[in-house]
Amino acid sequence: MDAKVIKEEQIGRSVPRMEGAAKVTGRAEYIHNIRLPGVLHGKMFRSRIAHGRIVSIDTSAARAVAGVHSVVTGEDIQRLIAEPYYGPAFHDQPVLALHKVRYVGEPVAVVLATDPHVAEYAAGLITAQYEELPAVFNEVEAATSPIHVHDELKPAITFPDLKHLKGKRGTNIALDYKLRRGDVEAQFASAAHVFEHEFHTQHIMHTPFEPFVALAEPMDDSITIHTSTQMPAYVRLEIARLLGWPENKVKVRTAWLGGGFGAKVYVKIEPMVVALALLARRPVKMSLTMEEQFYVIGKHATTFRIKSAVTADGRISARKCEVFWNGGAYADIGPRVSQKSGFTSTGPYRIEHAQIDSAEIYTNLPPAGAFRGFGIPQLVWAYESHTDIIARALNIDPLEFRRRNILREGDEHPTGTAMRDAEFEEVLVRISARMGWDQPFDRGTGTKRRGRGIAIGVKASIAPTTSFALVNVSADGSAVLFCNTIDMGQGSNTSMAQLVAQVLGTSSERVRVTQADTDVTPFDMGTLGSRSMFHMGHAVRLAAEHAREQLEALCAETGIEYQDEHSIAQAFRKKFGMQAGNIFGVGHYTSRYQPADHDTGMSKEITPFWMIGGTGIELEVDTETGHVTILRMVNVVDAGRAVNPRVVDTQISGAALMQMGATLSEEMVFNEGELTNPSLAFYKIPGMRDMPVAIENEALEAETRSGPFGAKGVGESGTFGVSPAIANAIDDAIGVRLYSLPLTPEAIYRGICAARGEPLVD
Amino acid sequence: MYEFSYVKPASLDEAAQLLANHDDAKPLSGGMTLIPTLKQRLAQPSHLIDIAALTELRGIEVTAGQLIIGAATRHIEVATSMTVRTALPALAALASTIGDPQVRNRGTLGGSVANNDPNADYPAAVLALGATVHTQRRAIAADDFFQGVFTTAIEEGELITRIAFPLPTRAAYAKFPHPASGFAMTGVFVAETGGRVRVAVTGAGPGVFRWREAEAALADRFAAESIEALVVDPSGLNADIHAPAEYRANLMKVLASRALRAILNSSEGAVA
Ligand SMILES: Cc1cc2nc3c(=O)[nH]c(=O)nc-3n(C[C@H](O)[C@H](O)[C@H](O)COP(=O)(O)OP(=O)(O)OC[C@H]3O[C@@H](n4cnc5c(N)ncnc54)[C@H](O)[C@@H]3O)c2cc1C
Repeated sequence: MDAKVIKEEQIGRSVPRMEGAAKVTGRAEYIHNIRLPGVLHGKMFRSRIAHGRIVSIDTSAARAVAGVHSVVTGEDIQRLIAEPYYGPAFHDQPVLALHKVRYVGEPVAVVLATDPHVAEYAAGLITAQYEELPAVFNEVEAATSPIHVHDELKPAITFPDLKHLKGKRGTNIALDYKLRRGDVEAQFASAAHVFEHEFHTQHIMHTPFEPFVALAEPMDDSITIHTSTQMPAYVRLEIARLLGWPENKVKVRTAWLGGGFGAKVYVKIEPMVVALALLARRPVKMSLTMEEQFYVIGKHATTFRIKSAVTADGRISARKCEVFWNGGAYADIGPRVSQKSGFTSTGPYRIEHAQIDSAEIYTNLPPAGAFRGFGIPQLVWAYESHTDIIARALNIDPLEFRRRNILREGDEHPTGTAMRDAEFEEVLVRISARMGWDQPFDRGTGTKRRGRGIAIGVKASIAPTTSFALVNVSADGSAVLFCNTIDMGQGSNTSMAQLVAQVLGTSSERVRVTQADTDVTPFDMGTLGSRSMFHMGHAVRLAAEHAREQLEALCAETGIEYQDEHSIAQAFRKKFGMQAGNIFGVGHYTSRYQPADHDTGMSKEITPFWMIGGTGIELEVDTETGHVTILRMVNVVDAGRAVNPRVVDTQISGAALMQMGATLSEEMVFNEGELTNPSLAFYKIPGMRDMPVAIENEALEAETRSGPFGAKGVGESGTFGVSPAIANAIDDAIGVRLYSLPLTPEAIYRGICAARGEPLVD
Repeated sequence: MYEFSYVKPASLDEAAQLLANHDDAKPLSGGMTLIPTLKQRLAQPSHLIDIAALTELRGIEVTAGQLIIGAATRHIEVATSMTVRTALPALAALASTIGDPQVRNRGTLGGSVANNDPNADYPAAVLALGATVHTQRRAIAADDFFQGVFTTAIEEGELITRIAFPLPTRAAYAKFPHPASGFAMTGVFVAETGGRVRVAVTGAGPGVFRWREAEAALADRFAAESIEALVVDPSGLNADIHAPAEYRANLMKVLASRALRAILNSSEGAVA
């Protein structure tokens, strides 16, 4: 065989990250670094009360500061946009507070100045008078409270299952997803064992190292928005809607993102920056501080009541789940979280009788939305802690109990969708094999006690969604991929280039991926929920196949054998007489989906694919202080085929370590709605010194038959099992069960004291 | 930040003069506390007098049974100085646990002691070792120096120039850091100097304080068991978003025991 024809497989190659050198040498472009002539900087004045009517806003002192261009309030915005409310699920969030404020930290006014420091100084001189209203903070209380965050629900048109809430008054419930399968109550009445627990998770922040930044540049009859977003196409859509403009007058572009984790989905500060720029008729830039991020978007705090019936031989026959999601003052994408993740609340188990009530609830706290895992970590925390408690109570090994109940290929998930390409049991097998689960384990001595735990979770993909891609092959055989998938550190550009190269038979290094620019990159729903490798992966594959068909035709026409980029180059030269021309391949993909029935919550096709992740933990507890040291963390996921094993590995560990922070230390602490620790000096995210002593990651050798080249998403799977695996290991070590995150040393020590009958009082 | 003038004097005298001439001037040392305070507009000094580079405030030496450290000596210098590590290893170990590398590379002994943050580490060492705080005007005994949260004996215009630590026979510091900042949620410094035991606690109360019961118990018997037999009353201890008073009361005992074990197992000034 001709040596040239043997092409290295591009799928499964750990191609080095394409932007790696530019990033580590500080040359990668970020929106933050853009300098435009004539730009004004905006700084916000924020509400200091949790709920109230705005009586007056005094901006006179701020206006008087030398260098201040203008001060803008909600009423000024209304001169430009009559209905200045935005949001993907509900049109509930004002560009700047209008008539009312609904949480401490809500933007009330913006100062524009040529110098950001002047703007900040002047913003500090603004005062506001409010007529304070009673506020509600806890999600369970808010579900039935007479205090209402919004007078009336205003669902956006986007999601059909929210339509029925239009115009509803007197409620804080922004979505109530229900699943009804079989008869749980009958099972509870007759079961050998019934277990019931309540679990809590806390409000936390995404903490991307690049805080929100956006710059709006008004043109003659259009506007350009440079923004750090995970969803350029949606930003364009929503801004066009707000302004009543056609989409093509709004151009949205990104550069590299310094992290997103779900914080930068849909729109965040873009409507504000656009409105300010149009009012001022000058470019306006806003770059938030790290501290301000706490007031933009976070992760839902939750209360999860879970009840299971278990047969005498250790099989879960029924499970009832009641999940309250604390959505904060504005819905953002929260209702999607409570539905798309809510329907997996029973966990990866075969359960004949299931009931779920999953409700998104407005409160007077900062908004909560998408956060790496899209609600799944909160659910797994509860159902896998619960599962472990049951196993221990029944004296069944926790691994064995899980294997006895786990969903297998072809089994029906409680929603009615059959399991396909979902390697739950294999994930458990690999974790336990790596941990030596059946081997004796050193349990420590004295004040240092050791334990181990496992947990496994499942996630569905948000559906239905659409991706478009365009491949432009140049006359030398190199190619540029135009796609809106945003590389925010997860390595998607590298992986997408590999897909193109695999199809074209070239090398990944000969494919470049553009940054998103809605004037040229085609539509994509967005980079979130681990959807891109599956959806955009398919679109890219199809676009590359379309290009390849045309290239093969070109080769045939010019009498050249199609082999690689050299033959492509020859064909172009022969056809056009010189190195000239292009071939465009286009592709698009929409996932298959059947909406859940409104009354039963069931569907035969509720997700295009399942994501599975599990974690095993070995840890040591210092029983004198409650301090935990993670000795070993084993993360195993089913990500289908790994397009780039190195990228997959870092996605698994990155997700798991992020969730470790959410488990052990991160917490936004509120006092009557006021955040008491809005600073990284008090709010602890994990750093290098907090890493587990040992960490191992594995992506199963698996195949997603419905995915591009057998692949599926992996950005979140590493988060699923971490929290309950840690709690289960703590219980294993010291016999203390914790029901609320985070598992701080104090909480653990408190548990130790309570267990020995000397509870801490305070 | 509000507007201010930045001045870099060439000598201690000039610095003192500048402070005397301007009512609202403030000394700037490592800036690790002062600059964040200014950024949050919690202070509005007219002038910042940068004393970090003054030679009179620098240097580390051992003379006449005392370790003398200049006020502008940075945490990293104390942590890594062979002089400190030999003469007073517990102090070097303490300095190495302050904050993070950025903070240690700029923050200074004088700044930390002058600031007297209730969760700062150095005050525990200064108090337990019975050190003397020197200013351009006088010498102040540690027992008189610390006067509660962010309050000291320092007067307007007065500058800490150096701190003299008597060399203990044995000493150790044990600390439970706040996970984010590194500040002591609680820290306990145990020292025996010239036959007398002193125990100072930081982080747990409203300002660093001497734990007299522990001192008495250890004078009887210098062992961890003496601490373990004590009962700590949490009333009056700090309760905040980081920990309740009961948890800090527990930490006092655990950390004091650990400091003792470290001393008795003669490992270098240990840190929990
Ligand atoms: C993120 C972070 C983490 C930290 N972690 C810790 C920790 O773990 N443990 C700990 O102990 N500390 C910690 N600190 C505080 C740190 O040690 C500071 O360096 C220290 O509190 C102040 O020292 P400075 O030299 O920076 O003083 P500056 O900030 O320059 O000054 C502080 C105050 O002291 C006054 N002052 C300074 N020098 C003198 C002098 N010679 N005479 C009189 N007044 C003077 C100043 O006017 C000012 O009021 C941390 C700080 C940060 C920002």
